Amino acid sequence: MKKTLCFSILLLLLSTFLAACNSGGGEQSANADGKVEIDFFHRWPNEPRKSFYDDKVKEYMEQNPDVHINVDYVLNDAYKEKVRVLVSSDELPDIFTAWSDSFAKNLVSSERIMPLNEVIQEDEEWSSKIIDSQFGGFTFDETTYGVPFTVDGKAFFYNKAVFEENNIEVPTTYDELLAALDKLQKAGYEQPLVEGLTNTWAISHYLGTIFERVVDPAVLDKDYNEETAEFTDPGYIQGLEMFEELTGYMGDVSTAIDHEAARNMFAAGEVPVLYMQFAEIKMVEEAGDVEFGFFDFPAIEGAAGDPTALTGAPEGWMVSKNAPEETIDFLKFLTSEETAAEFTKTDGQLNAIEGAVTEENVNPASLEAYELITNASSTAPWFDNAVNINVADIFMRGGQSLATGQTTPEEILKEVQQEIANKK
Amino acid sequence: MKEGARMIARRNRMIPALFILPSLLFLGIFIYIPLVQNFYNSFFDFSVFSPTKEYVGFSAFEQLFADKVVMTAFINNVKYAIISVIFQVAFALVLATILEDKLFRRIAPMLRVIYFIPVMISISVIALLFNFVYNPQMGLLNSFLELIGLGNLTVPWLGNATTSIYAVIAMSQWQSIGFITMLFIVAIQKIPKELYEAANIDGAGKIRQFFSITVPQVKEALFVNMLITITGSMLVFNEPYILTNGGPGTSSMTLSVYMYQQGFFKDNMGYASAVATLIFVVTAIFALIQIKVSGTGKDE
Amino acid sequence: MTKTNENIKADLFTSDTQIKKARLAKMDKTTRRTNLQGKISKNMILLGLLLFAFIILYPLFWMVVSSMKSYDEIYNNVWGLPSVWHFENYATAWSMGISGYFFNSLFVTLVTIVLVVLIGSMAAFTLSRYKSRWIDVALIFTIGGIMMNPQVALIPLFEMLTWMDLINTHWALILTYVAYRLPLTIILIRAFFLSIPRELEESAIIDGCSEFGIYARIYLPLSIPIIVTTIVLTAYFAWNEFMFATVFIDSDVLKTIPSGLMNFRDALRTDWGVLLAGMVIATIPMVILLVFLQRYLVRGLSEGSVKG
Repeated sequence: MKKTLCFSILLLLLSTFLAACNSGGGEQSANADGKVEIDFFHRWPNEPRKSFYDDKVKEYMEQNPDVHINVDYVLNDAYKEKVRVLVSSDELPDIFTAWSDSFAKNLVSSERIMPLNEVIQEDEEWSSKIIDSQFGGFTFDETTYGVPFTVDGKAFFYNKAVFEENNIEVPTTYDELLAALDKLQKAGYEQPLVEGLTNTWAISHYLGTIFERVVDPAVLDKDYNEETAEFTDPGYIQGLEMFEELTGYMGDVSTAIDHEAARNMFAAGEVPVLYMQFAEIKMVEEAGDVEFGFFDFPAIEGAAGDPTALTGAPEGWMVSKNAPEETIDFLKFLTSEETAAEFTKTDGQLNAIEGAVTEENVNPASLEAYELITNASSTAPWFDNAVNINVADIFMRGGQSLATGQTTPEEILKEVQQEIANKK
Repeated sequence: MKEGARMIARRNRMIPALFILPSLLFLGIFIYIPLVQNFYNSFFDFSVFSPTKEYVGFSAFEQLFADKVVMTAFINNVKYAIISVIFQVAFALVLATILEDKLFRRIAPMLRVIYFIPVMISISVIALLFNFVYNPQMGLLNSFLELIGLGNLTVPWLGNATTSIYAVIAMSQWQSIGFITMLFIVAIQKIPKELYEAANIDGAGKIRQFFSITVPQVKEALFVNMLITITGSMLVFNEPYILTNGGPGTSSMTLSVYMYQQGFFKDNMGYASAVATLIFVVTAIFALIQIKVSGTGKDE
Repeated sequence: MTKTNENIKADLFTSDTQIKKARLAKMDKTTRRTNLQGKISKNMILLGLLLFAFIILYPLFWMVVSSMKSYDEIYNNVWGLPSVWHFENYATAWSMGISGYFFNSLFVTLVTIVLVVLIGSMAAFTLSRYKSRWIDVALIFTIGGIMMNPQVALIPLFEMLTWMDLINTHWALILTYVAYRLPLTIILIRAFFLSIPRELEESAIIDGCSEFGIYARIYLPLSIPIIVTTIVLTAYFAWNEFMFATVFIDSDVLKTIPSGLMNFRDALRTDWGVLLAGMVIATIPMVILLVFLQRYLVRGLSEGSVKG
């Protein structure tokens, strides 16, 4: 154990230095005055949410002087990684944000997440306000492990004026969508549909939805499970071909921009159709003044998949098994009608709390989206969260290469199958 | 008395050891042990936080040589090296010679600082800045091309599988030319002035002076700078990582970016270690050449 | 990270030079040709130099100007000056997190500098004053360190720092920065120490100075120039380092500027004006350092070169 010896010597030596200048080290301060500490971890270092949660935490601590809340946050991808790490090393924060479905399922399988059934049953006044259908993604074997908070969905946004001008009906089938895009191209829109393909997640949203439409749900279930994944269904090839077909309408520009730039093009009226999240409604409205509507990814005739499943899973809060009991109260505070209403007003993203999305805090477009989400027959999780990251990466990079004409659907799928074989 | 004298002698011997100990510990722990550890890791399959490592022998290396992406990445590193040698080394030498010429004595100090500014700027700032430069809609480069009537040459630089790696390389040149230029300036300043004066009297033109005096005189610096540039090109991480993350597809992947993605994004730590080992072998070869040629490693 | 050694092997030329010198004395200096052609080519080259300076400076200038534009103008008015100068972008960037990153960077950089100078000069002291087989080994060990690159050590370092429970603390950065800066620093300072005359220390020993006294009272004060060089080079490295800063730290509260800036970009909506302002803030300290301490930097480059 020479290594250990070396470390100890080094640490000894260093400790003298460290002692001299440890003041600004940024470690979490130990709590000396006997307050209950709650570690709160979220994934929004960006405004407006960062301030929103900072304010909420402050507000809560003022109301509950015996509780101290430590807030920490990292961004999206880092968050996924970090939570995975924390759960495996048993250092989960007390309360943290989580995606539903497979992401949640993975966490739950660690057996370190607190089951919330009792909490939900005990306080009907609070829990009955949360839209029932949204619990689905957090419930496994009839045990609920999370409280949904934000809801979202993905749909094609279209420029109403342009569609009217060119006599285009809102497409209800995939073929109609292609016809509409062709028509728009003839009308002078070189790229009627754009996407920020540098954001690989944007590709995964497309692929996820397309697979949802073309592949039998039972097969998807099997392939989205790491243990039984095969990805041999011919539907995947068909799906990738469809994506390739769609990139034909996206033009050169799409491979070099991010989703935000694509959204700005839509908002400026340069592009008539864009596949977006409902969470972006407010941003579109702020960036320009086009009048827009939206439609779900259309059904594909003769395909084996679910023709109406809405891509877009809720996100919510999970509590660690070891969390102090005060955490539950804080959870209720975070998901109260009041907090939720204020959240949606600040951020624009819709939430799963009844009565917290009204005409007062959202615009008509968001309200329409809200109806769509809450009434959807079933929801499909985001593809990049649903499958193993190695597999998702091959699909996403493959999507980029498809758009630049560097690969074929068959090659991508072969790579995926190889990856799965390697892992076994 | 005798005892006391020996004490002092021993203390004197202890002090030098104590003085150098922290450095050796730092180097040992944070530079050498990781290197060995990395070799060791290459033979295992593990994830960052799994407590166990599974021995897999040479399978990571087998995978490495069959991996098309590794090949793409390596070729990109080689492109990086070749272009950097041309621009950073050849062009920088010319630039340094011009700056050291007495014709430009007045303006040279200012230009030197200007050329050096990008070297001091953080790579993340520069990469974000070049994101704007290359942006297909509002980017400076395409806007400029349109402005001078070459609108048909505009390309989505970073989004095109053929141009993306070159766009990344171009940014590196922009940033690093000043650095190598400075190194050459330092070398040129050490050339005895008499050589040039004599050549002047003999009527040798500037270009002849450059080839017959400057180049041979800075030969060693030329070689070392070339190796610095090549080694740097084999290691390049920041630029492609921030600008394109290796995309679109894998068209601008480099070995370091691939290692990072395998390790920290996909959690294939063992495979990433094998990629790191490959990087080490490639750079070590260049480092050895360098030691041999420059004679470092012995007393100066 | 490599070392240039620029010993000029002038032996070959000395004899040659002497002959030419003699001739030089005889020659009339006025015969130097200055013709029209020379002037034109001089101006052409000058134009080229200025053009290159422009290519370097314009994007930076654009960054400063655009940092005061509104979101719309960055997209729609690429070349122009802002119609309204949004100086508040700087305040926003500062309060939105740059201030935190800035002080993190400052802390990491300062501690790194202190440790590097202290530990490095101590080692250089030993390496320059003593001679033995072990010292030679230590010297080779140190020089070998220059050849190693952080990329290769990334994963083991990550494991090690996790094991030491230092991941996600500033020490993860400081310790590794110090380690990777030490070899070059030691070699630079050692070269300087070797040039300090022995007589000085001999008289100090007679005066009863301890070994430590010789280091602290004689060697260090005499070496201020090379220490300033070390400080500049280390500051530049620690302030701008990106890879370790990205991998070893993921809590936003602890991030340094280079990795923290990335957070501004990754949102669904980036506030470009604010991001640009943050970029300018990140850049200014280093440019100031360059302007003021230029000659030390050049000195450092001439004694040993740095990259990465």
